Amino acid sequence: MNTVLSRANSLFAFSLSVMAALTFGCFITTAFKDRRVPVDIHVSKVMLKNVDDFTGPRERSDLGFITFDLSADLQPIFDWNVKQLFLYLSAEYATKSNSLNQVVLWDKIVLRGENTKLNLRDMKSKYFFFDDGNGLRANKNITLTLSWNVVPNAGILPLVAGSGHVSLPFPDAYETTKSY
Amino acid sequence: LSVYAFISLGKMLSIFKSIPTHMDYKGQKLAEQIFQGIILISAVIGFVYGLIIEQFGWTVYIVLAGFAVSCVLTLPPWPMYRKNPLSWQPVIPESSGEPSQKPQESLKKKKHK
Repeated sequence: MNTVLSRANSLFAFSLSVMAALTFGCFITTAFKDRRVPVDIHVSKVMLKNVDDFTGPRERSDLGFITFDLSADLQPIFDWNVKQLFLYLSAEYATKSNSLNQVVLWDKIVLRGENTKLNLRDMKSKYFFFDDGNGLRANKNITLTLSWNVVPNAGILPLVAGSGHVSLPFPDAYETTKSY
Repeated sequence: LSVYAFISLGKMLSIFKSIPTHMDYKGQKLAEQIFQGIILISAVIGFVYGLIIEQFGWTVYIVLAGFAVSCVLTLPPWPMYRKNPLSWQPVIPESSGEPSQKPQESLKKKKHK
């Protein structure tokens, strides 16, 4: 500690250690918080097509088009340890060939500071709702769930399933629009 | 042109190196206690403030401010860190007849060997 450099070294190392302890403290204060909020999903229109699918092993696959409404208040999730939320809407269903299918239809990033009250109407899906085969037609039960990934400043990234979901049957024939 | 820049940089560096920056032992201990105290206090204040306003960024800013204050208070060798200088033995004059020097300067000579 006799020269400026050695004092600066000591001071800097101490500050970094204190900063690391504060970051751990920030993590501990929010590690066990429940990150679920109620979510309201409503589907207004469903259309089904059978198209050429070049990404799969077969000639034609089922392609669904969903128009939905989404409303949720995400404000309780944000605290000082949340940097952003990654929301995604996924459809889950069973077919004859696969017992569980999960397809992500739409996603959104909500940064801290942005508007946290979601009130989206007549949203179209962002990604193609392709089925692995032809299992969407006349499917009795397709469940849409909104889930999110909490991106923190420090700590674990929990994957939280939303607490609202909606189940709906798909139309029996292609190229017909079913409204709800 | 870059040669002149290098020469002036070298002159500046030698000026910095010739500024005395030492503290005596009690001064070093005092400096360490001062910066540890400042950083810890700013850490506690920053943690509580960040928790209240729900922004971790402010915690970091407050600790950085504490760091800056500590730099100003403990990096330069203020007189309060030199209150207890070591009392060196007076220099025994060489047979060639060198004049006796002050204890501080002999301390420097001993370090810059």
